Amino acid sequence: MAAGGTGGKTYSFKVVLLGEGCVGKTSLVLRYCENKFNDKHITTLQASFLTKKLNITGKRVNLAIWDTAGQERFHALGPIYYRDSNGAVLVYDVTDEDSFQKVKNWVKELRKMLGNDICLCIVGNKIDLDKDRHVSVEEAESYAESVGAKHYHTSAKLNKGIEELFLDLCKRMMETAQAEERLKGNGASQSASSRRGVQIVDDEPQATPAGGCCSSG
Amino acid sequence: MTTQRRGIHLDQSELLCKKGCGFYGNTGWQGLCSKCWREENQKEKQKQIQEDWALAERLQREEEEAYSRHQKAQTQPTITPFSKFEERKTKEKSSKVNTVTKFFTPSTKTPPKKDTPFDAHSSPSPSSSTSRHSSVGSDYATREFIDFLKPLKSGREIFKQCRAFTESMVYKRDMGADELSECVQDFYQNLSDRLHTQFKGSSDHVESVMDEVEKYMMTRLYKDVFCPETTDDERKDLAIQKRIRALHWVTIEMLCVPVDEEIAEVSDSVVKAITDVIEMDSKCVPKEKLACITRCSKHIFNAIKISKKEAASADDFLPTLIYIVLKANPPRLQSNIQYITRFSNPSRLMTGEDGYYFTNMCCAVAFIEKLDGQSLNLSSEEFDLYMSGQASPHWPQSSGASSCSPGSATLSQVHKRLDVLTGLGERQERVMEKARQLESDLIDWTDEVEQKVQSVLESIPAETQNPTATTASGTTSAASSAIDSDNVENEHLPPPLLPQVFAG
Ligand SMILES: Nc1nc2c(ncn2[C@@H]2O[C@H](COP(=O)(O)OP(=O)(O)O)[C@@H](O)[C@H]2O)c(=O)[nH]1
Ligand SMILES: [Mg+2]
Ligand SMILES: [Zn+2]
Repeated sequence: MAAGGTGGKTYSFKVVLLGEGCVGKTSLVLRYCENKFNDKHITTLQASFLTKKLNITGKRVNLAIWDTAGQERFHALGPIYYRDSNGAVLVYDVTDEDSFQKVKNWVKELRKMLGNDICLCIVGNKIDLDKDRHVSVEEAESYAESVGAKHYHTSAKLNKGIEELFLDLCKRMMETAQAEERLKGNGASQSASSRRGVQIVDDEPQATPAGGCCSSG
Repeated sequence: MTTQRRGIHLDQSELLCKKGCGFYGNTGWQGLCSKCWREENQKEKQKQIQEDWALAERLQREEEEAYSRHQKAQTQPTITPFSKFEERKTKEKSSKVNTVTKFFTPSTKTPPKKDTPFDAHSSPSPSSSTSRHSSVGSDYATREFIDFLKPLKSGREIFKQCRAFTESMVYKRDMGADELSECVQDFYQNLSDRLHTQFKGSSDHVESVMDEVEKYMMTRLYKDVFCPETTDDERKDLAIQKRIRALHWVTIEMLCVPVDEEIAEVSDSVVKAITDVIEMDSKCVPKEKLACITRCSKHIFNAIKISKKEAASADDFLPTLIYIVLKANPPRLQSNIQYITRFSNPSRLMTGEDGYYFTNMCCAVAFIEKLDGQSLNLSSEEFDLYMSGQASPHWPQSSGASSCSPGSATLSQVHKRLDVLTGLGERQERVMEKARQLESDLIDWTDEVEQKVQSVLESIPAETQNPTATTASGTTSAASSAIDSDNVENEHLPPPLLPQVFAG
């Protein structure tokens, strides 16, 4: 951000990754930010908070991607994670019907808690396993449309659809931010009232037992 | 030090208030309970307030001195701080602009002598050698802030506003914490909005100024706005502290923590993470408190990376952070979280890396507050038994805990030590038993000896028993002394008592 820059403001966006364990949240973000997949040469210390700097139509964007703990027992902590988020990436595994159901639950909760302030992306990951697909493309896309979310198909393994997903999301978040700025006349950042006031919602009882398939790595 | 930190159990007496009132003490309160601490601290606080005012006056005075050395318009500090404070305030109205100007006057205008106001601050003068860390700290913070702002064109203006705002907060002590927070946040917001315009959108530049603003303001306001009496922060601190203590039995396996403490570097990182999170309470500035959480998190990542041989995801990180918080039981945890939430620069919390770790810390605390059997893969019966202390997962008879990660070195050490302790207890019992046996044997033996001596004395005529005895009257006494001196009947006595080894 040297003084010789374009003079435009820098957008800072927070995006949360939500979805059941093992659908590929961590893989998606590692692929996007570090172009790695199942990398055994660990040069990254952690894959839970990653950032990416973008330049979109001459505007600088700092994207912060927050991974969330996907295990069922942490579900109630969702609101603490997604408060003040500009966007949410809701990931399911196209071979796993249940994981799509989980995404629907997240959508409901996010809309209830954050209204339309948040840009939602529904992402069907692992399309390289298309032969085992258990969630139909039509169903997923029409569902996304019905809740005002965008739908994407990705493969972290083959690096498909991921750039588009985040670029689109950033553009939408910029639009939202600009609309907000116009509304306020001046909008360096969010209003004071949205800063605080987080509560934990107890979700509906879940039938699934605690402990995911990923706990042993 | 290390081993003490790592232990989950503590001697109950160590936990009690040092004043002996029977309540639990808190390391954050110098080992006192909340009530005793308040009483103690009331005096301290009063003293602190006076010192603050004295300092404020001194700063003011130094500014004035620098401004007009020849005028000698010095004010003497008075004993009644409040009226003095009022006085200073009114005085300030007239002199504020000038004094602030003085701070930022380019060096060409000030005499090129060494004793500028800045230098006066560089080493705390003996008059203010209050030795109180915080007042020296805020003194130092002021100087640092000024040094930072000096090269900025608008530095003088920024300092003026921050100082005025900070001083105005003194009058808002009785406000609710949320209102205080709102005030500070609005101030941050306004200032950063103006800086954005001024620096033409250079966010990094604005952020670096805002960091210094936060540091200056919060160093000065810390004592008044940290865990204020208008909130129930303190009650929450005690509640979570008690809760964590009650959860001492939670194992690494129950939380599915993917770290293997058998590996030396891992257990080292765990200890460092615990140290860092405990250290948070000792910092005054929100940013510095956050930095402790961030350092703690990095050590956690290191522990996970070495154990799992892959970069930690949130699924690994959160359970490990929960485990670290349970082990550390950080002092005034809720107060610290509230303070950071209320007074930290909001952009750092919302999108920054520190904010991510802080959010996970909030999640860890929320999880600890709410956790039940299900969240630890336990039946609610097991959970209740462990909570009530009627059973422990560490004891062999209740080995129902599921295991989903390698066992922890510390816990197995604790197990080993418990085994050793149990063994020692049994051995001591056996030793005691034998000692009692020995005692009664000895008594029996003396009785026996006495009886034998008696019977021997009775059966043997006096003259044969003691040839030296000449008179009948001297028989008894002579006979008894003869036994002692000559051991005539030695062959009839039991063998001498030999030392025996009982420890088995
Ligand atoms: N075939 C395939 N496997 C994937 C893909 N993305 C992730 N995985 C695998 O799915 C598993 C879970 O991925 P992870 O990123 O840990 O999921 P998370 O629990 O949602 O973070 C890992 O074994 C990944 O290698 C993908 O696009 N295709
Ligand atoms: Mg993950
Ligand atoms: Zn006490």
